[in-house]
Amino acid sequence: MTQQDIPSLRSQLLVLAGMLTLLAASASVSRLSLGWWGLVITASLSVGQALLVLVVFMRLKSSHPALRMIAILAFAWPLIMVALTLGDYLTRSLLHAPW
Amino acid sequence: MNTSVPAAAVQQQFDDAPQQKEAAMLGMWAFIATEVLFFGVLFAAYVICRWRFPLAFVEASAHLDFSMGTAETAILQVSGCLSAIALRQIQLDKARQSALLLVVTSLLGVAFLVLHGMEYHGEFKEGLIPGIRYLQSGPGAREMELFFSLYYVTTGFHSLHVLIGVVLLLTIAMRTWRGKFCAQYHTPIEIIGLYWSLVDIVWIFVYPAFYLVGSAG
Repeated sequence: MTQQDIPSLRSQLLVLAGMLTLLAASASVSRLSLGWWGLVITASLSVGQALLVLVVFMRLKSSHPALRMIAILAFAWPLIMVALTLGDYLTRSLLHAPW
Repeated sequence: MNTSVPAAAVQQQFDDAPQQKEAAMLGMWAFIATEVLFFGVLFAAYVICRWRFPLAFVEASAHLDFSMGTAETAILQVSGCLSAIALRQIQLDKARQSALLLVVTSLLGVAFLVLHGMEYHGEFKEGLIPGIRYLQSGPGAREMELFFSLYYVTTGFHSLHVLIGVVLLLTIAMRTWRGKFCAQYHTPIEIIGLYWSLVDIVWIFVYPAFYLVGSAG
């Protein structure tokens, strides 16, 4: 571990400020009547906050590539699960019994 | 500054300290992956239910305390930053500062749990807890029950993780204060930091999913 690997206090605090700003933006957007767009925007802001935590606080930026791969897979599998499950619900039609 | 890892810190199954650290980090990230899958299933159920009953979810979400949820999110984000700074301080060989930051992080975790407990209490009085005290009636009440079931299972398990994190943070803080960790060996602080960040990330998605449905239906 070299001095260069240790993040500066300023960068940590800036990330926190960024996260709190994104939180305030989420809270504000949810008060507007944007319909499903509100959901898209708040979800995107949450992804932004999560990425900041992963990259800066969990130090994925400077981690071993294997750890980065595990992190990507960890979040990819639930996304695939949600996509496939939702795909089933969105395309399923009501089948009436033939009798 | 002494640049070697204390011999007692390297377990016998490892060749050296870097190998031990790599194994610990890999194990922790594998654990995080299983945790993400655990909460991922709950989020998958949430997505389906919200897609099927959008209006009931909007109505149910309006019963939750928006400002309390926002405050809880801010508390967790600040605590996540403090745990990251605690790691930085131990890397700079400032063990006492690191220990204090870990204690403050755990206290913020306690504050989160207290606020959430107050929320649960208010919801109990309002009759929003399925299977225990659910007093909602009229059209959409059954679908709202689905929302509250998901809400209590997700936030309940999350709070359990916060509680475990608080205990671990205090334990690690105590060991840090006693000088068990230094700039050369601080893997447990790094590990607890990763765990606490996971708790933070889960809540980052819980917050909009349950508290911000209001007008985003």
